[in-house]
Amino acid sequence: MSTSGSPLRTNSARAGKSSGRLSLAKPFLVGTILICCALSVAFFLARRSQGDEPFPKPADSIIGTKSAPTAKGWSRGNPAAKTVLIEFADFQCGSCGRASVVVGELIKKHGEELLVVFKHFPLEVVHRNALIASQAAEAAGRQYKFWEMYELLFKHQAEWANVPDAQTFFLNYAAELQMDLEKFQRDLWDSELRDKIYKDVLEGQVAQVTQTPTFFLNGARMPTTKSEAEFEQLITDAIRKAK
Amino acid sequence: MSHRALFGCILASLAFVGIIDSGYVAINSLMHFIVPCGIAKGCEEVLNSPYARIRGISIAWGGVAFYISMMFAGIFAAYGFGRILRLTLPIAVLAFAFTLYLFYLQAFVILAFCDYCLLSALLVTLSLAIHLVTRAWKKAS
Repeated sequence: MSTSGSPLRTNSARAGKSSGRLSLAKPFLVGTILICCALSVAFFLARRSQGDEPFPKPADSIIGTKSAPTAKGWSRGNPAAKTVLIEFADFQCGSCGRASVVVGELIKKHGEELLVVFKHFPLEVVHRNALIASQAAEAAGRQYKFWEMYELLFKHQAEWANVPDAQTFFLNYAAELQMDLEKFQRDLWDSELRDKIYKDVLEGQVAQVTQTPTFFLNGARMPTTKSEAEFEQLITDAIRKAK
Repeated sequence: MSHRALFGCILASLAFVGIIDSGYVAINSLMHFIVPCGIAKGCEEVLNSPYARIRGISIAWGGVAFYISMMFAGIFAAYGFGRILRLTLPIAVLAFAFTLYLFYLQAFVILAFCDYCLLSALLVTLSLAIHLVTRAWKKAS
């Protein structure tokens, strides 16, 4: 009896333990499945939101080369300055608009000791009118009014940022700048200008630019600063060192 | 269905949405994707600000960890292990305090709001509310 009763008790104890494990295992399993489902949805949405390739894909041979951008492009300040600030910006990006004001102030203060080079980096995936705005600036550049258009685009960014017919606004700005409107309109859709913009984008991609604005000071990528004052300070320090 | 099971289900549902929300931002930042911003103005400023990362890691991962804990808390509560909500209450309180800090940063420092962060703030607040309601309900009964 004793030999047959003991295994029974053991069995029942084992059964009790295993049922306790089961009751804990079930919610754990359900929770894990739900978490996996939610993360899969998040991953799917992240992939889908990228849509098509936003920019022309750089050739495999140059991916990861991480070279510093060149100082070629639209520039302001002293071309012989020792301190060179390169800006990758998107005309539809709010931070770029604010940065343009700070950079403008820096040019006013240190124009003789600083060269600022502008590079296009339109984030087409998230900013529907960024590319056409870049083209408007380039088209204005063909009439020697790049910087004037640059200022107007940033100044009136809220007007054209999310409208389906941004080019109407750009035409108005061109008229305000007393440009040849026919030529401007033709240039606005010129594939040569688009290629020029994509060259900047490619340069940005090679330099590992992933957000706008991104600044390179004397070839080195600037850290994200917490304030405009801190940004200004970094540039002022570089100018002082270069003297 | 007991009230605890019901609250557990609600908490798990909130956590499900929360994992998608913060997971989406975290995965985007990990893969260097650009997060499309919608309703709130200045979303990209918030997500690109230095406050969005701690030592290079997106704080959205912290959100994912929080919602995973809330998911388990909710599911376990729904299965009758309601006591787990006592353990997760301090986590919910801490997350709420951090949410308030992030809200302050958006409103007064960055001067811009991000939709994903606002949704997360709402979910964290509701998660804390569920904990408090469950506690009050238990005391009352």
